[in-house]
Amino acid sequence: MRCDLADGQTLKEMFASGTAWLEKSAPDINAINVFPVPDGDTGTNMVLTMRSAMEEAKRNSDSDVSSVVKSMAHGALMGARGNSGVILSQFWRGLAKGLEGKAHFDGREFAEALVEASKTAYKGIVQPVEGTILTVLKDASRAAETAVKDDDALASVLEAAVKSAEESVARTPSLLPVLKEAGVVDAGGQGLYVLLDGALQFLKGESGKARYRMPHLVATESELVPRAAQMPTHLEMPYGYCTNFVLEGRNLNLGKIEKDLKKKGQSLIVTGDDSLARVHIHSFEPGQILEYATRLGKLHEITINNMDDQYAEFIEMQRERMPPVDITMVTVAAGDGFFELFNSLGSAIIVPGGQTMNPSVRELLQAVESAPSDGIILLPNNKNIISAAAQVKSLTSKKVMVIPARTIPQGVAAFLAFNYDMNLEQNAQVIEEAIKKVRTIEVTRAVRKTRLNGLEIKKGQFIAILDDEDLIARGDMVGDVIVQALGRAGAEKAEVVTIYYGAEIEAVAAGEIAEEVRGRYHNEVEVVYGGQSHYNYIISLE
Amino acid sequence: MVKIVTDSCSDITPQLAQEFGISVVPLYVQFGNETYRDNVDLSTEEFYHKLETSKTLPTTSTVTPVSFAELFTKLAEETKEILTITISERFSVTYEAALQAKAMVSKDCRIEVINSQSAAGGEMLLVISAAKMAQSGADLDQIADWVRKAVPRVQVRMSFDTLEYLRRGGRIGKAQAFLGSLLKANPVLGIKDGDTFPIARTRSRTQAVDFLVNFVKGFSQVEALAIEDATTPDDLETLAERLKDIVPPERIYRSKVGPVVGTHVGPQVLAVSVLEAE
Repeated sequence: MRCDLADGQTLKEMFASGTAWLEKSAPDINAINVFPVPDGDTGTNMVLTMRSAMEEAKRNSDSDVSSVVKSMAHGALMGARGNSGVILSQFWRGLAKGLEGKAHFDGREFAEALVEASKTAYKGIVQPVEGTILTVLKDASRAAETAVKDDDALASVLEAAVKSAEESVARTPSLLPVLKEAGVVDAGGQGLYVLLDGALQFLKGESGKARYRMPHLVATESELVPRAAQMPTHLEMPYGYCTNFVLEGRNLNLGKIEKDLKKKGQSLIVTGDDSLARVHIHSFEPGQILEYATRLGKLHEITINNMDDQYAEFIEMQRERMPPVDITMVTVAAGDGFFELFNSLGSAIIVPGGQTMNPSVRELLQAVESAPSDGIILLPNNKNIISAAAQVKSLTSKKVMVIPARTIPQGVAAFLAFNYDMNLEQNAQVIEEAIKKVRTIEVTRAVRKTRLNGLEIKKGQFIAILDDEDLIARGDMVGDVIVQALGRAGAEKAEVVTIYYGAEIEAVAAGEIAEEVRGRYHNEVEVVYGGQSHYNYIISLE
Repeated sequence: MVKIVTDSCSDITPQLAQEFGISVVPLYVQFGNETYRDNVDLSTEEFYHKLETSKTLPTTSTVTPVSFAELFTKLAEETKEILTITISERFSVTYEAALQAKAMVSKDCRIEVINSQSAAGGEMLLVISAAKMAQSGADLDQIADWVRKAVPRVQVRMSFDTLEYLRRGGRIGKAQAFLGSLLKANPVLGIKDGDTFPIARTRSRTQAVDFLVNFVKGFSQVEALAIEDATTPDDLETLAERLKDIVPPERIYRSKVGPVVGTHVGPQVLAVSVLEAE
């Protein structure tokens, strides 16, 4: 007999360690749970499912692995919670199938059982979605299979599976768009990775050490991360009830149950065998589901959760992870690029408007009233809007500080300067200082022949205006006008030049101008899409 | 004399440790399968070089209770009183490990463990102040009482080129509000209630240095100041030069962001920590 053969008790120890590791990262897993429903309970559900599996395992002192794993599969089935929990119970069911009739197992047999677990998990789901726990399980099982060829020791095989699971988790956002949008990896996949990683620690003799470590969370590759303030506060579509139960009966026809329930809800999973089945479904009428099931047999472990309540809690939880919002920036902006830019810079309410479309006092007031906070920093970003903004102050009971920002780059500077450590008045002061340090060049075409600042301007020529006041350059070539204007505005002293290009400008053209500016003035030049309509380019010097 | 113990997240240099008789317990940095003791097997310079060249990103792990207990037992041969100051519990389980170790020591020795609610230079200032008190003959209760009261007077500001390391290591806390910006920025973060907190954003390193200087200027009286860089000694020089007229140079401690803290904040970090006078 080989010395590294593991038995049922080893399997139990492995996953006791795995479950402990999973418990430790459950809050973090909850926090990234956005699919299929952002209800923030994936970590908890997986832990509860594993606990139930471990309870059954504890009662089984057999050394045969087939006996222990069968108990664990039964425990997981009985205790499965939520989508990920049910899939996890499928994992155990598959593992039990793969290790059936075996007293011991080695790396090869474990790899084969993982493959079986993956297959079983896919089969249990009516519509498998990639980029979830399923994909991670599949990738891990394949890696285990491959690893056996080099070294079939159990620890080596599991190590390969864990490594592959980790990489697979990191890839989930590229497979599932909803994850990418939210800037997170799949929560269920993360949970499976952590569970296997914990099991591996036992084999390496490291589970003791693990008590003093924090589980490593796989980070998403994508840069965008969700912002609580941007999440919808009320739902357009309710999610309904997450309905879960175990059905005990005789000659249960799982295929038929699946077919019957398919039309009654979402995220349906029916697993088990002809005497004991686990059903999970998201439905608006859980009563109907239960009524249907009672006709087929006895129901156990019934749980019905209102997912809309859970979603509200999830949003609350996300808020707690963000700094408190007691000040909101209300900003006027034109152009889809600027909308996105402001949103990326913090919790903002954007009032569309600008040079050619001044928002009314009422529109500004509405924005102020709709802000989640009592303290408001109002950024008109145009000199023609400043007086309207000033009026808002006396029309609301909220505390509004109007910053006399006259250009959009000044508004951007205000967002950057916002200090989370300061109160409203202090912030207003810091921001007023900050906007003074920004110079703005706006480039547009002359609408008619005119004479300004001693310069003769032909219709259609490009003109550059400094700080919304002085015409400082004109010409037929936009690049020349910009370079000239930058020179007059003191570009050599600026550290950062930001070129916001308008809706009608190609990114390539803006990039070429940036190259020219870099070559001429040697500063850091950033090119950002502003999407504004009136000005071809808006340029800031900081 | 009371012995002062801290973890390597306090970024106390071997010179400072020796000068003030501080015992520093190293945390661990792992690059793949290689494990190093923080600032013992791996110097700060070597670490940042590896960080740039290694294909795998490093991870960190904490001190085990056993290592703490061994040190406590050894120190107990010379002293009856030990004070341990650790990194904030939000960043590491070192505090918990030290508490566990306290229960493992059988020698007749009083051990106090205090969570600094801070890290890096902030933790360093508490540790150095405690060591100075010990050197001047204060007892454990006096020092522990002083440190607990000083914890809220410590403030840390760090400027970053990128928040990527902080995000990957899961220690970004509420500063995640600064992620996803479509404009390049040098964010400045602080530590508040023991956790990372967003402060403000600057547009360049120069502006970031200005911000840090103004931050120090904002205090009416600074008892001690710690300044640190990771890979930019020139910036540290500039910072020191500009701060020397605000705070007497003998109250300024210079250090480097060490490997364990560096794993989570990345290169190019500049940090200023202030212990405000009572």
